[in-house]
Parts: sequence; C-alpha cells; structure tokens
Amino acid sequence: MRPDVPGARPADPSRWFGLFLITRAAGAAVVPPLLILQDLTSTEYLLGALALGYAGASALLLARVRVLQTSLAVWVVDCLAVLGLVVAYGEWRTPFYVLAISALVLPTTSLPPRRAVAFGAGFTLAYLAAAVIVGVDWEEVSTTARMQSFGAMLLVPMIVTVLLAFAAHLLRRLERERQRSERLALEAERQRIAWELHDSAKQRIHAAHLLLSAVSDANLASRSVELALEELRAATADMDTSLRDLREPLFEGASLGEALRQWAQRLQAASDVRIDVVGDAPTLPAFTAAQAYRIGREALTNAVRHAGASEAEVVLDFTGERLNLLIRDDGTGLPDGAAGAGTGLSSMRHRAEALGAELDIVSRGDGGGTIVALDAPLAETSRT
Amino acid sequence: MIRVLIIDDHHAMRRGLENVLSETPDLVPVATGSAEGDLWHLLKRTAPDVVLLDYHLPGQDGLMLCHRIKSLTLAPRVIIYSAYADESLEIAATVAGADGVLNKNAPANELFAALRGGPGDEPAIPAPRAEALSAAARKLDDGERPLLGMLMQRTPLPDVADALGLPLDEAASRVRGVIGRLRVRVPAGAE
Repeated sequence: MRPDVPGARPADPSRWFGLFLITRAAGAAVVPPLLILQDLTSTEYLLGALALGYAGASALLLARVRVLQTSLAVWVVDCLAVLGLVVAYGEWRTPFYVLAISALVLPTTSLPPRRAVAFGAGFTLAYLAAAVIVGVDWEEVSTTARMQSFGAMLLVPMIVTVLLAFAAHLLRRLERERQRSERLALEAERQRIAWELHDSAKQRIHAAHLLLSAVSDANLASRSVELALEELRAATADMDTSLRDLREPLFEGASLGEALRQWAQRLQAASDVRIDVVGDAPTLPAFTAAQAYRIGREALTNAVRHAGASEAEVVLDFTGERLNLLIRDDGTGLPDGAAGAGTGLSSMRHRAEALGAELDIVSRGDGGGTIVALDAPLAETSRT
Repeated sequence: MIRVLIIDDHHAMRRGLENVLSETPDLVPVATGSAEGDLWHLLKRTAPDVVLLDYHLPGQDGLMLCHRIKSLTLAPRVIIYSAYADESLEIAATVAGADGVLNKNAPANELFAALRGGPGDEPAIPAPRAEALSAAARKLDDGERPLLGMLMQRTPLPDVADALGLPLDEAASRVRGVIGRLRVRVPAGAE
C-alpha cells in the first residue's frame, strides 16, 4: 500500500528556494542598468521602481510564509505579475526578462516532471501572448537577426523548465533511494541481531539452565539455584519476545498512520476496544517511522491488554520539522511500579531516546486512563 | 547404560550436555558432533542407543537427518532437541520418525527421562490436537495428506510404499517432501 507517492509532492521546497532568491535578485539587479542604458523616461522610472519593489516583496513573502512556496495559485499569480511588467513596459525586448524567468524556478522544481514541463510551456505561450499584446513588429522580426533573438527569448523559458524539472526529479529519486537503502540497512541489522540472539546467546542460556537444573536434581538444591533457574527461564522468554519483535519486518511503503491503523484494526478484532487513529505522517525517515510505530503499538497494546480500556485514540501530527504522536485511553492506568514487567515502558523510553525525542507517560489510575505523548524532532534526519 | 550421541551446533550446548550426562550413572555421552558432517561416521563408530539431535543445524536440519537415521537398519532412537519445540514441531518430528521431542528449556530430569525412553522404547510424542493437525495438513497438497495420516500413525515405510503403490525410494522421497513442507519457521538467519 502506498498512500503517498513522494515524487508527486515537493519533498522539501526550501532546497530550491535559494535558487529562486538568486535568480529573482539577479533579475532585479539587471533592471536599473538596462533602463538607464535605454534613456529612462518617467513612466519607465516608475515601472523600474515597481519591478524592484515587487521582486523584494515577493521574495520576502515567500521566505516568511513557506507554504506559499508550493502553492499553484501563488505560482500563477507570480507569473502573471512579472508578465504584467513586460506588458506594461510595452515591448518584448524587456529589461524584466530575467525577473520573469525567475518565476519558473519554484513551480518547475516542485511539480512532477511532466506537469513541470506543461507549466513551462504555459509560461512560454503566455510570454508569446504578452509579446503579441504589446505588438510585435513582424516586419522587423522577419529579418534574420531579430527572428533569432525573438525565438531565443521564447526558447529560454523551456530550456530552464526542462533542466530544472529534470534536476529536481533526479534529486527526489536520489532521496527516495537513500531512504530505501536506509531501510534495508536497518532491516539487515535487525536480522543480524536476531541471529546473534538466537544462535548464540540463547543457546548459552539454555546450556546454563540445563547445567543448573542438573545441580538442583542432585539434591544440592538451594533456594539460590531455584532462583537462578527461574531467572534463566525468564531470560529466554525475554529473548523470545525480542526475537519476535526483530523478526517482524519494518512496515514497508505504508505510512506511519496507515501502519498504526492496521495494528489498531488487529487489536479491535481481538477485543471490544474502539480505537481511532487521527492524522498521518506520510514522509518520515525510516528510522523515525519504525521507532514511532513501535512506541504507538506498545502503548495501544498496553491500553488493551493491561489497562482494560474501552476506547483509545491515536493522534498524529506532522509538521515537517516535528512529529507528535499521542496515544490516549480511558483504562485503569498502568499498574503500580510500572517501570514494570510486560508493559514495555522501558523499551518505549529507549526508542524515544534513540530519536532524541521527548516521551511523556502520564497514568492516572481509577479510570483516568493513560496518555503517552511522543515529541520527536526530524531536523537532522529529514534533510539532506 | 544408555549410550548417547549428541549433535548440536553450539559448543555451549555440547559442553553442557556432555557434562550433565557424564554425571548421570546410567547415561553415557559417547561423542559429540556439530553437524551432518560429523553424524554418519560418529554413528558408525559409536553405535549409540540414542541420538540427541538439535533441530536447527547448518546444512540439513534435524528433521531431515532424523528421517535418514531412522531409515537405517537397527536405527538408534532419536530425540529432536529444539529451542522452539511446539506442537507443529512435534507433528513434523513424528512424520520424520523421531522418538521424542524436547524443548531446550526443559530441566535436566526431563532430558534424562526423554533419553531413557519409555518402557518398550515406545515413541513418546504426545498426540497433537486436531487444530494443530489440520494446520499441518493445510501446508500439504492433496496428494500428500494421506501420507501425513499414515506417518502420524507411524506406518513403516515399506507399508507406506505398498499403500501408495510406489517403489521404496520413491515413497521415501515423498516423505522427505512432506517433512520439508512441515518444517517449522525459525528465526531469521538460524536456518
């Protein structure tokens, strides 16, 4: 199941925002010298000031409100604005050309390749339309040199579009590939640990148990031997739990929300608990997703198995920089002294620690239920 | 005196078993080996009464080896020894002709009892529950299910071959196919 295709959405708009700023600044910087070279009239003076103002304001706004960087409406408005400057200048050979081209950077790097090219083609046609509106002197264009420069002017936006779309597409694929190999490495490591646990440590414990049990058999038995045997049996049981955990594959492809929903369904099928899963976190680094999944799963299992809850809720909140995972139930709370056996609290804490995250576990007995809240940063792992 | 051949791929288990058995008057660990490579010549050299056979071995697993040991004339008794002994392993072990299945977490007295065997050397694997048996049957195809029935009754191989109207070696290879399918899933990397 793949509810989210990473290529279809901007993985990280800010990666290309720098390029946008540079081209927009360059576009603004060439305006004054070009206008001055062409003997400034007063309307052109006003137009130049307007262009510089627009370049600065648009850059500032997009830097402040980052969601606008990936909004189709904003891209269209931006294109229309810069083409408006061209029309207002009144000639297709315009000093605002580079400024106009800069409007292509964000859409072509954010959209999937085909739609990016479609956007670029639309822009080119709009530029042609703007040129027609202001009036192309076709007699003049029909001379070879003029024709070449007119053609080039229309070709440049397409070239820019194709290059940027291709580069962005490649980067996204690289990113996906990196996440996949990260997941594979994680999987391989788990297999190795499982193998070591089973093949070596567990066999040694069995041997120790056997040897000790022979001592107790030979009537040398003391309370300590009995206790040691008990400990060894508990140790193999612990290892079996870890092995089961390790052998279960990391959820592949599915998002964290989807994986938790599936687990909730399994729990609901086996009990009378009602579990709601709200929200999702589609693009998480594999390690974060795996740890958060285990924490959520453990908390839900506790709610059902130990706290006798009748309702539970999972809330996922994903901002791109932080992941918040909240599990709430109406059960009896956790048993006393519950750093306790069987509830997996210490393993939840270790997982949170591994993520550099904060984990709050609040248990109010007498039907007040339990709240488990994970607040994990994504900054170091989600960016490249 | 019961002579025991120990086959286990982990030295801690081999050493532990050897030690525990050597302190028990009626049980003698005659040799230890770690895999199939040791098995056949140790069998020939020591002629044990019973083989304590680890299930998870490198190369051929304990069930397959058990089937081959039990095909020998004058075969010793075979106890399958596993960290994951459960009902599905017991069924597979019965099919492979094992005389007993023992979990590795069993205390020494249970090990001794398994090695000594019951009166008359009757195999001591409890009859499986009906659900476990049908779960095992689901792993097989239609042609193999009658074979499972016969093998659970411990029908000798020549009789199985007769009933199927097959030559002996053909029947044996069918049995190996059934054992292969009943093989218990083990933790990653342990197979």
